[in-house]
Amino acid sequence: MSSETATNPVTTEIIRNAFIAIAEDMNAALIRSAYTPIIYEGKDCAVGLLDEKGDVLGQSLGLPLFLGNLSLCVQIIAEEKGWDYYEEGDCILLNDSYIAGTHLNDITVIMPIFWRGERIGFATSRAHWLDVGAKDPATPTDATEIYQEGMRWPPTKVYRKGEPQTDILTFMKVNSRFGDALLGDLHAQIAAGRTGQKRMTELLDRFGLETVTAAKHDIFAQSERMEKEAIRAIADGEYFAEGMLDNDGLSDDPVPVKLKATVLGEEMELDLEGSSPQTIGGVNCGFTQTISAARVAFKLLINPERPVDGGTFKALTVKAPEGSIFRAQEPAACSWYFSSLGLLIDMVVKALSPALPERAAAAHYGDSMVTTFSGLDQRRDGEFFVSVEANCGGWGAWEGHDGQDCLINNVNGSFRDYPIELYEHRYPIKIRRYGIRTNSGGQGKYRGGNGCFREYEVEQDVALSLWFERSKTTAWGLRGGSAGMPPKVTITLADGEVDQSTLKVNARTVQAGSRILIETGGGGGFGNASQRPADLTKSDRQNHYTD
Amino acid sequence: MKYRVSADIGGTFTDLVIQGQNGEVEIGKVPTTSENPALGVLAGIDQLVENPSDIDFFVHGTTVGLNAFLERRGARTLLLMTRGVSDTYTIARGHREELYKLHYRKPEQLVPRADVHEVTERLNWDGSVETPLDQADFAPIIEKVKAEGIKAIAVCFLHAYANPKHELLAREILQEALPGVSVSLSHRVASEWREYERASSTVMDAYVAPVVELYLETLKQELVKSGMDKTVHIMSSAGGAMTDRSAAAHPISTLLSGPVGGSIGGCELAKQTGLENLLCVDMGGTSFDLSLVIDGEAQMTSETVLEGLPLLMSIVAIETVGAGGGSVAWIEGGGLRVGPRSAGSYPGPVCYGRGGSEPTVTDANLFLGRLGAESLLDGKMTLDLDGTKAAMKALGDQVGLSEKGLAEGIIAISNAKMADAMRTITVGQGIDPREFTLVAFGGAGPMHAVELAAELDIKRILIPPYPGTFSAWGMLQSEIRHDLSTNFVSLMSDCSEAKLQGLFDDLIERGRSVLDGENVTAERMSFEHSIDLRYLGQEYTLRVTVEDGETIAQVLERFHALYERRYGHSMREGEVEMINTRVAAFGDFNRPGTAPMNEAVDASPERARRDVTFGGEQYDTPILKRALMASGSEYQSPAIVEEESATTVVPPGYSITIDALGNMIIALEESA
Repeated sequence: MSSETATNPVTTEIIRNAFIAIAEDMNAALIRSAYTPIIYEGKDCAVGLLDEKGDVLGQSLGLPLFLGNLSLCVQIIAEEKGWDYYEEGDCILLNDSYIAGTHLNDITVIMPIFWRGERIGFATSRAHWLDVGAKDPATPTDATEIYQEGMRWPPTKVYRKGEPQTDILTFMKVNSRFGDALLGDLHAQIAAGRTGQKRMTELLDRFGLETVTAAKHDIFAQSERMEKEAIRAIADGEYFAEGMLDNDGLSDDPVPVKLKATVLGEEMELDLEGSSPQTIGGVNCGFTQTISAARVAFKLLINPERPVDGGTFKALTVKAPEGSIFRAQEPAACSWYFSSLGLLIDMVVKALSPALPERAAAAHYGDSMVTTFSGLDQRRDGEFFVSVEANCGGWGAWEGHDGQDCLINNVNGSFRDYPIELYEHRYPIKIRRYGIRTNSGGQGKYRGGNGCFREYEVEQDVALSLWFERSKTTAWGLRGGSAGMPPKVTITLADGEVDQSTLKVNARTVQAGSRILIETGGGGGFGNASQRPADLTKSDRQNHYTD
Repeated sequence: MKYRVSADIGGTFTDLVIQGQNGEVEIGKVPTTSENPALGVLAGIDQLVENPSDIDFFVHGTTVGLNAFLERRGARTLLLMTRGVSDTYTIARGHREELYKLHYRKPEQLVPRADVHEVTERLNWDGSVETPLDQADFAPIIEKVKAEGIKAIAVCFLHAYANPKHELLAREILQEALPGVSVSLSHRVASEWREYERASSTVMDAYVAPVVELYLETLKQELVKSGMDKTVHIMSSAGGAMTDRSAAAHPISTLLSGPVGGSIGGCELAKQTGLENLLCVDMGGTSFDLSLVIDGEAQMTSETVLEGLPLLMSIVAIETVGAGGGSVAWIEGGGLRVGPRSAGSYPGPVCYGRGGSEPTVTDANLFLGRLGAESLLDGKMTLDLDGTKAAMKALGDQVGLSEKGLAEGIIAISNAKMADAMRTITVGQGIDPREFTLVAFGGAGPMHAVELAAELDIKRILIPPYPGTFSAWGMLQSEIRHDLSTNFVSLMSDCSEAKLQGLFDDLIERGRSVLDGENVTAERMSFEHSIDLRYLGQEYTLRVTVEDGETIAQVLERFHALYERRYGHSMREGEVEMINTRVAAFGDFNRPGTAPMNEAVDASPERARRDVTFGGEQYDTPILKRALMASGSEYQSPAIVEEESATTVVPPGYSITIDALGNMIIALEESA
């Protein structure tokens, strides 16, 4: 059912598969040549192959929160500067939170693709850079303004018509605590871009622009059609949910998130009216990132198996009040933006659970639960180090199945924990214990998954930062299941003093011999615990998942 | 008369290749006898060799270990890990493979948490001992193993790659108390860091060990009974042959024993023909396997994933795509899709007449005349063309394509998917496929080979003799191979040539003693060295070969060049770090050369003519019988070449020649 004569269902399908393959090859190039574990182990990155107007042709699996965001960046820059801003051989770098939406550590790289002198698309990527010169190493937890969070780049050409802008590159390098790694990761992103450019021009050499364009329209139309069919299957109506973050990292006040989802015919609207105004602490984000998070939630419920392209999300509208945490304005700090967005995603799932019982599940532990250590490694002549880790936790149960134990949270996607052997080799810190936190999942006919515990012993004085969330809105149960346990942190100092009072810490010095035990939350249970099948209870006991 | 025999024991069929003293080859195909695979092998040998005692050399590929894993029929295994961190195995790094799925489930581990036990001991990151092994911890474990009749134990201690002392001690304690229980140690299975991946590999080794041992013992007995009393060899996943004793000591290395035959066959073709760069594709009913031969050598990798479980081991790099003759065409959102779902062999393609109603790639080939209704198994199976036509019409109507348009479309989409995978392993690694020759084999490979080559601008295609049993032929070309590695992290700027040589010498010494144990004489031994390098700060490494007597600077230069080729840039001023040193130890079997084939043939190979569709047009096409195509003869396309195990389709614009060894070389005509 081709809309144009330049293609047919066969050519369209060949081109569709090629777009996906190109994006996957770009992603492989980025991950395999990256310099920092947060990219190659954490997979805190995404790539997008875009058309000449910035719509997605192909996108790899990657950090879910970056979903669809690369398109918006390309389009916003074009709105401001015109499409002719993008010239052949350019490599444009961007991390401004109010454009790109996320925190300054996320660097977007845009490389226009030219074919026979005409701009026909973009090879883009985004990756988390370890250190962009914030007031504290990596990402400070107590910044009050974006100016404390590191270097902020509006769209900046680091390659102009193929020429590296060495002044700018050097400037970037000297402003980071890890300048070499920063340039290494930039090169990895450029490698991904070049892969995309090369493969895309080859595809055009073979099929020609007219055919590729016609195929693109068919592909987008297929996606849009499938999406609308899926929304039509949801009962029309308004669906609500609300929850709160523990705080913004500075005050003790909870940060509310309110959601209204409206389904009408083939369209869905997500409205965040009533959510918290932007906060002093860094749980804010730019609106583009809110759109991305809403798209992640939408994708969890609507055609999750279908790859994303320019036809996806046509049926979705997102609204957020100006000046709220979801549409923050300068100089709001944005370091920990993902906590609000993780909650937003859970709210969408919660609100729509009654309407989509076959896709629904009880809540998961919710946030990234970040531990950061930094200092001067005595084993390596005082070389500076930073380790940043997200921690896994319990996921929600659903009809017919227990929630998974120790699985990374929604927004972190394919993030893997750091192997202890690699960690101890790299940092002057021992991991004494790492395991499944028994009994932390919510009870139910099907129980919530358990969180984890991980205990560090520092072998020298180091600075510790923590960002743990969701102790107030813990993982709720569904249809009578109970909530999971909240997270917990126990700091046992070298002198024996024990501190269990806090979940968020910024660059606190802890002496050699101190132990830090982190415990992440469990997932929510599903159904009434009295109906739990006996064999599951027995297996849980045998395997010590519950006492 | 003495023979060398190889057997590729697959799920359905066992392929045999028999080579006489002068290199002449015969093939056989018999049903696999899953209960006791030796019986199938013997039945096959019986058809081809008068007296099994005339067999001088026997090598085979087996899926027995792999099947035990896939069907979860391995031994109940206990896993011992360092106190405090044994849940690393069950947590399995906590990542998700599917991102938009609230109902995601982790892959199921082979050892349930209740069977993972902790032992008090601790090494530091540099291998020094922090807490000695507490022997008292073993008492309850030993008791449990005895009481519950457990047959296999895997041991994986933190940092054991840096110091094996505690693992060795653990084995001593366990073996003394538990004779007959197989014990796998992580530093022996994979001496590399990352405790979860190493534990997963060690568990796999332990899990398949009793099954593989029993299988080897039975096979050996059956063969001896029949009079074949020579050493039994097994293909390893690394592409070498192992003696049955070595295989029993490293059961995990038999896991992917089958598919590597094709790559090793590719290496042999490279030697025979002087074509050193080959892209090898093996297409069957459900999957499409790709591997590369570069400068005459198979490409290796040191990690793979099976059903979500990671395995650290040296293995021929083979990519698998879900595309085969059975791939089904279907409609989604108004668009046409092909695969990855397969109709399998039951019900199979519509044309098999077993109740399949969705058209497949095989149906499309039949519809277009590329496959004859009587082509399969030399006419022993007749295909239902009418059924295929009806199914094509039904699906074509839904997307507005004629039957012919749909059939060609199904093949085009399927070819394009395979070509995307071919691009990923070549272009994606900075390799220009246009300099390669495509080698196609497997039942369906030759049917698609020429069009696949065209997708990547590859101008030369090679179809070896007997493409349907090429993997078995490849096994016959193997040498003994053992891969040894050691984890040694150092900046290259801190490493001297002497230090590097010392590391290699240790590994070579180990390799030499293994080969000694297999009665390989010194003059038949050879060794290849390589190191895994990366820029300081990176995680992923590139494996770089090291030639005898090379300086560090020369090695670094090769690394920079390799890196540049793959990623388009290099960091020549950056520090380079080494992670692992590796040695491959080879033992040469003194194989005879391959005999020339089809030297004198009188009859014309043309058996019939048929209308075949290429690019929407009908061509009156000759059907050639491969056995009658003499060495040195030349043909023009279009042509269909049939033989018992495969059909080769050559669209217009190519020349076909048969070389002295019987290889069919298909070359794009310059004017075309």
